[in-house]
Amino acid sequence: MSRTRAPIRHRLLLRTYPAAWRQRYGEEFLALLADRPAGWRAAADILGGALDARLHPGRTPLSVDEMLPHAMALPTVSAATATFGIVTGVPPVGVLSRRAFMRRVLGVGVALLSLEFLGGTLSFLWPNIRSGLGGAFRIGSLDSILATQPSFADGQYYPVNEARAFLVNVPAATALASGSPISVTDPSVDQLLALWRKCPHLGCLVPEPCVDLHRILCRCHHSTYNILGEKMSQGPAERGLDRFAIRMEADGTLIVDTSEITQGAPNLGPDHLVFSDPHPWEATCHI
Amino acid sequence: MNAKGTGDLGRFAEPALLVLISLADGPKHGYAIMTDVEAFSGSPLGPGTLYAVLARLEEAGLIEPLEPVERRRPYRITGAGSTAVAEQLDQMGRFLELGRARVRGAEG
Repeated sequence: MSRTRAPIRHRLLLRTYPAAWRQRYGEEFLALLADRPAGWRAAADILGGALDARLHPGRTPLSVDEMLPHAMALPTVSAATATFGIVTGVPPVGVLSRRAFMRRVLGVGVALLSLEFLGGTLSFLWPNIRSGLGGAFRIGSLDSILATQPSFADGQYYPVNEARAFLVNVPAATALASGSPISVTDPSVDQLLALWRKCPHLGCLVPEPCVDLHRILCRCHHSTYNILGEKMSQGPAERGLDRFAIRMEADGTLIVDTSEITQGAPNLGPDHLVFSDPHPWEATCHI
Repeated sequence: MNAKGTGDLGRFAEPALLVLISLADGPKHGYAIMTDVEAFSGSPLGPGTLYAVLARLEEAGLIEPLEPVERRRPYRITGAGSTAVAEQLDQMGRFLELGRARVRGAEG
């Protein structure tokens, strides 16, 4: 038996078939092509056959050497394939091949990774402010504030450090800044201001009001605000201090909500202030 | 019989019948089947189609492979294959008679 090497064209055509098919039919198929070289029409027919063999991998019979004698033929072909697939290394029908298994593992891995990325991204987007600036702060009842700091009734601000705010008792504070202090022990929630201690010019933390004029002077660029946070003449800021919303719960607990901000009034000059203290407009606040 | 016959072979049903007819008078290898089928049917049978048919017929138990001779493996029709092809031809024969009778009726 002379085994001449098959032409490259025939071997390429044979390569289009799956490995199991080539194992079973390769020799005789090359012999057939040697007897009758394939033209373009036969080549197209072979490509169709290869596609068919790949679409129906379970249909390729096993290598003849490994088949049972036909007298012992098993009742169904799929059973025979399942039995001998293990022996020959050909994946049995309905059982995952090694390659398919690896592909599936890769696919599941990629899917898990994508889910992780998606979850991570969403968790970053999720609002997570429960405390710190942006949260709502319970600062206790008016009574507890007055108990902590009795001067709040006389118009001194009450610092709410966790909210970076000054709580202002408006009627008492304006009276104090006017030079004729009164005591207001039960201001309504509308008579309270929570001034954000952030200069609207460039964001500096503003210091406590000065004691002589009861004005707030930003140390960065000398923007000056009155006791209600309204912008006075000096300094570059174009509006008054921003304010946080204040709510009172049914039991009297005050809440400073730093997620709800009202912008300070625009700087329109002395005539537009809600409160003008009696000190000269241009007076310097000594810290 | 039809379940394992040539009835469920789809587009390969006709070439399958041709191959079975070709094998009916004795075992043949691939090239011999091709030339035989082309000789008696007049239509060419491509190598891809031939082996798709051979795989299906072997799966259905209608043919069986023999030991190869000089790399060329002959195939032999089985008992089931003979029965299947006979049934198929009988059925076609009935179509033939019916068709002829009707054509004659139309002429006469």
